[in-house]
Amino acid sequence: MKFSRNWLQDYVDLSGLSDEQISEAITFLGFEVEGIEHTGAPQLSDVVVGEVLTRDQHPNADRLSICSVSVGEANGGTKRIVCGAQNYKVGDRVPVALIGAVLPGNFKIKPSKIRGEASEGMMCSGKELQIGDDHSGLMILTNRPEVGTPINDALPEGDVVFDIEITPNRPDCLCHLGAARELAAWFRRDLVYPQAEMQKRGAARPDLLKTLRVDSSEDCPLCTATAISGVKVGPSPVWMQARLSALGIRPINNLVDIGNYVMLEYGQPMHMFDAKALAGASIVVRRAAEGKTLVTLDEKERQLTSDMLVIADAERSVVVAGVMGGEKSGVSEATTDLVLQVAAFRRQSVRATSRKLGLSSDSSYRFERGIDVHSLPEATHRAIALVLEVAGGQVCGETLRVGSDVPWERAVLVSPAWVRSRLGFEVSDDDQRGALEALDLLITREEEIDGGVQWTVRIPSWRSDLDRPIDLVEEILRVHGTAKIPAKTVTGPGLLVEDDPIAQYNRRTSTYLIGQNFNECVTYTLRSKLDTAAWADESAVDPLGLANPFVEDQSHLRPTLIGGLVDSLRLNQSRGNPVAGMFETGRVFISNTKGVQECAAVGFIIREGSDAAWTQREASDFYTAKRLIETIAAEAGIDLVRQPHLATDDGAEAGWQQGQHTLQGNMAYGWTARYGMLDLARLKGLGVTGKVLAGVFAILPERLVKAGKRSRFQPFSLQPAAWRDVALVVDESEAAGDMLKSLTKLARSAAKGFDLEAVGLFDVYRGKGLPDGKKSLAFSLKFRAADRTLTNDEVNKTFTTVLAQVAAKTPYQVRS
Amino acid sequence: MQDQLSALVTKAEAELPSLPTRPDVEAAKARYIGPKGELTGLMKQMGTVPKEERPAMGKLINQTQMALQALLDTALARIEANELAAQLGPAIDPTLPSPDPLPGTRHPLTLVREELNSILRKVGFTVVEGPEVETEYYCFDALNTPVDHPARDAQDTFYLPPEATFPNVAKKVPNEKYLLRTHTSSVQIRTMLKGEPPIRMVSPGRVYRRDTVDATHSANFHQMEGLYVDKNVTVSDLKALLDYVLKSLLGADTKVRFRPHYFGYTEPSFEVDLSAKHLPKVNKEWVEIMGCGMVDPAVFDDVGYDSSVWSGYAFGMGIERIAMMMYGIDDIRYFYQNDLRFLRQFS
Repeated sequence: MKFSRNWLQDYVDLSGLSDEQISEAITFLGFEVEGIEHTGAPQLSDVVVGEVLTRDQHPNADRLSICSVSVGEANGGTKRIVCGAQNYKVGDRVPVALIGAVLPGNFKIKPSKIRGEASEGMMCSGKELQIGDDHSGLMILTNRPEVGTPINDALPEGDVVFDIEITPNRPDCLCHLGAARELAAWFRRDLVYPQAEMQKRGAARPDLLKTLRVDSSEDCPLCTATAISGVKVGPSPVWMQARLSALGIRPINNLVDIGNYVMLEYGQPMHMFDAKALAGASIVVRRAAEGKTLVTLDEKERQLTSDMLVIADAERSVVVAGVMGGEKSGVSEATTDLVLQVAAFRRQSVRATSRKLGLSSDSSYRFERGIDVHSLPEATHRAIALVLEVAGGQVCGETLRVGSDVPWERAVLVSPAWVRSRLGFEVSDDDQRGALEALDLLITREEEIDGGVQWTVRIPSWRSDLDRPIDLVEEILRVHGTAKIPAKTVTGPGLLVEDDPIAQYNRRTSTYLIGQNFNECVTYTLRSKLDTAAWADESAVDPLGLANPFVEDQSHLRPTLIGGLVDSLRLNQSRGNPVAGMFETGRVFISNTKGVQECAAVGFIIREGSDAAWTQREASDFYTAKRLIETIAAEAGIDLVRQPHLATDDGAEAGWQQGQHTLQGNMAYGWTARYGMLDLARLKGLGVTGKVLAGVFAILPERLVKAGKRSRFQPFSLQPAAWRDVALVVDESEAAGDMLKSLTKLARSAAKGFDLEAVGLFDVYRGKGLPDGKKSLAFSLKFRAADRTLTNDEVNKTFTTVLAQVAAKTPYQVRS
Repeated sequence: MQDQLSALVTKAEAELPSLPTRPDVEAAKARYIGPKGELTGLMKQMGTVPKEERPAMGKLINQTQMALQALLDTALARIEANELAAQLGPAIDPTLPSPDPLPGTRHPLTLVREELNSILRKVGFTVVEGPEVETEYYCFDALNTPVDHPARDAQDTFYLPPEATFPNVAKKVPNEKYLLRTHTSSVQIRTMLKGEPPIRMVSPGRVYRRDTVDATHSANFHQMEGLYVDKNVTVSDLKALLDYVLKSLLGADTKVRFRPHYFGYTEPSFEVDLSAKHLPKVNKEWVEIMGCGMVDPAVFDDVGYDSSVWSGYAFGMGIERIAMMMYGIDDIRYFYQNDLRFLRQFS
């Protein structure tokens, strides 16, 4: 909200304080100063008030006139000035820049000839003087200041406008009185309330105002209405216009301006009706009839629903209560009798209506945050006084009033010693008392309790945010000054707690991948539906959708990290940055029949093959991804080598290249790993060049909790080992893992009295010498005894047994 | 015989240096000093040498044998040296760039988060994680957020549809909606409900706001929120902690100030400004960096802690914001584009 320094000055003496000091005070009181703006005319010399004496057509230009302008004896009497404006007439008073004046923008006024006619100065628009944007014509000084007066003396004084963010807990500061109260507390100066004379009231006028009724009292605890007759609508006084304009509010007429003025002064929105427009001379606060419409002041037709509160006359809704008035019922130039209606509306009600209509206003903003119902009568009184002062007229009868008027009473008990124990530093009893009293938080009672003092602090009605001792700690600290919190050394006894397993896991896996030359990425969690569908079954996509996405391409929770990484790859390729490997750690959301489960995940992509380099390196392939994902899974305590490979037809086929990727684990396991090549056609469609390998491992956070068992030392033999190699011919479809498993089993049982230490796979061969559809896998068996060097004979004997067993028990054919 | 011996050496001197392979040298060794070699043959003639000359002649034969052996050794050494040399590739050009990938990099958001974690760990704060899909209770209710607070608006917060099920995220209140957490304070509530004070935790993580993406706004961003619950925790403890954290992160010249503010779950509440003119692109005297405050007693009551016994503080900051300030980054979107020219700047 914007605040005028001149206006604040009405209630608190700000003399001797710089704008910076005021701004700092506001800041430390807990409100952010978002801007400071100076308004009013800049200091101008040689610009004076002039009166147009004559206006004649310029002989050589249709749009120009030649005027004689009186600028006062001291300034040389009468000047001849050529002028292009059209909006003035003889007798008007206007600002005149004399020869020698320098206008804003370093515009020097010199004697000149315009289309052949001499001109001795310039009559000015508001914009030329930098007091407003009006460039439509001369600035007509309607208040007719003395001719020859220096212009700065004739214009309203300049102002300083503070744009202040008022926190939601302080609706009392959404007005000048409230802000002045805070400044008065900070500078320990007095707060002066506006004076409103009690007015003599005339006889009641039932023809203007007969009934005030509130049907929804829960939404409108208090409502008043006052009829005023015989007002004269016109421009509001210059001082009022100046204040409103300074805050960016366009003056309309004296009545509308008064409504705005009192709202900005007291924080109480109000509404003025033209009494003639109120059917039945009644005001009814009620729920709207479902389906009715109302054209609001902004000339838009609003659809009303039965949960909206409206103000109606005897026939129809005329105001959306607390939000905006109707087009027809408000005061206008023709108004002579008015009804001033002031109410308190329930915050939630105004808020719901405002949201439903998509319509907010200065009024709804204040009602939503809460107004002080106890200062409503005072604000009403102030408004009435201003109407009579500015627009004349007479109050007709008593103010009608509907609603409870429960007197406000609240007190909070607090002890200064307890306040110190919350603050952790010394603030004396006197300083605390001073801070509270500066805020009108008066100590009404002081008693000794448990050897200490306890205060009863009275809370004023406008501070309904204060109701606990801790709230007073904040008030005391605010006014005492947070800058006075002393520095000290931080202390921190250990709590013997370890970082969360997810944090540790992410740290370990990202350290590993960075060691493998991957670049860590961070991508958005929200993805488009289209992208999500590439990584999950159709039935699994919808549960990932948000109820209220903001934009279409961020509508679904990501089921994998790969989509975002591919986007990053594409971006880099399009910008000419060669990518090797990228990864991300983060949450993914996997949906299955049970619902959606949030998993911790690690994902990576590798652009296969290196970009142009002076020498070729070995390219990555499926098995590169496999080693990476095995290591990542192992960090989570999952040994992928022991885990079966599952069918990959689970809906992610669009994303992954068929036959070139694998899946291990699913949400029934509590984790899942998928790795291999990404779908070439899809990548091409996305504009990604080259083959891309990827892997993603996701695990339920609760599965990460278990700490790994501590390793135990296993003794090993110091004797030499013996190797025997065997090549087995099998069908192309035979899985190497199965062969490895059965060969190991056979060899282990064949070795008697010593150990099969390892079985290694060292060659996979296809082609010449083998039938089509066959491949040969060569294994190396490594034997070792714990206690002796093995003899050739015993190893050969065992190896022969192995070969016989292979022939007897497996479909594998030993290749000679 | 003396002449024959020296002729043998001369012959070996001429032959051995040019033998190309180990077998050639082995063969030459047999020819010269093997049992059937020429030197052995000459030794057999010792019998014909007059007795008085034999000692001298014996000495001469020994010398010849040593000379031949030395020549053979030299030849082998030469061949070995050649063999090793053959294993080497072409000469290197030390100025040629390595064709291997550049080193991996940590994302700047990770760097900042981990640095903060480590600074806080020194004073006893450990990391706690929580779900990004939350319920209204943990994100709002338990944090003292009024039912009609604007933060709960579907305009500002992402919600999941009413039929969504997240079996791992239990609803605390029947029929409450699932949402994407708008801050990591929800983790603090979970931690308090699960454990007992004292608590000293920090919860870094991803949060979501329904914002238009621009230079300073992002649909998701990262926060780091801390919570300390113990007996007799005071405002000056909070100030001391944040002084320590921000000076550790941004340098000892950093000045920190508290401005009173309003948050629903702390009382009193503060916004924290810092003055660090040494940082890039900081041209204001005071820059807002984070929010903090003393945990509101209502929050303790809600999680079942006795607010007359326990007190505490909480603080929260945006990791992107800090990273932008530390590194002088002027657009938040850089963090999510992952342009390698960006990623490689931080380590």
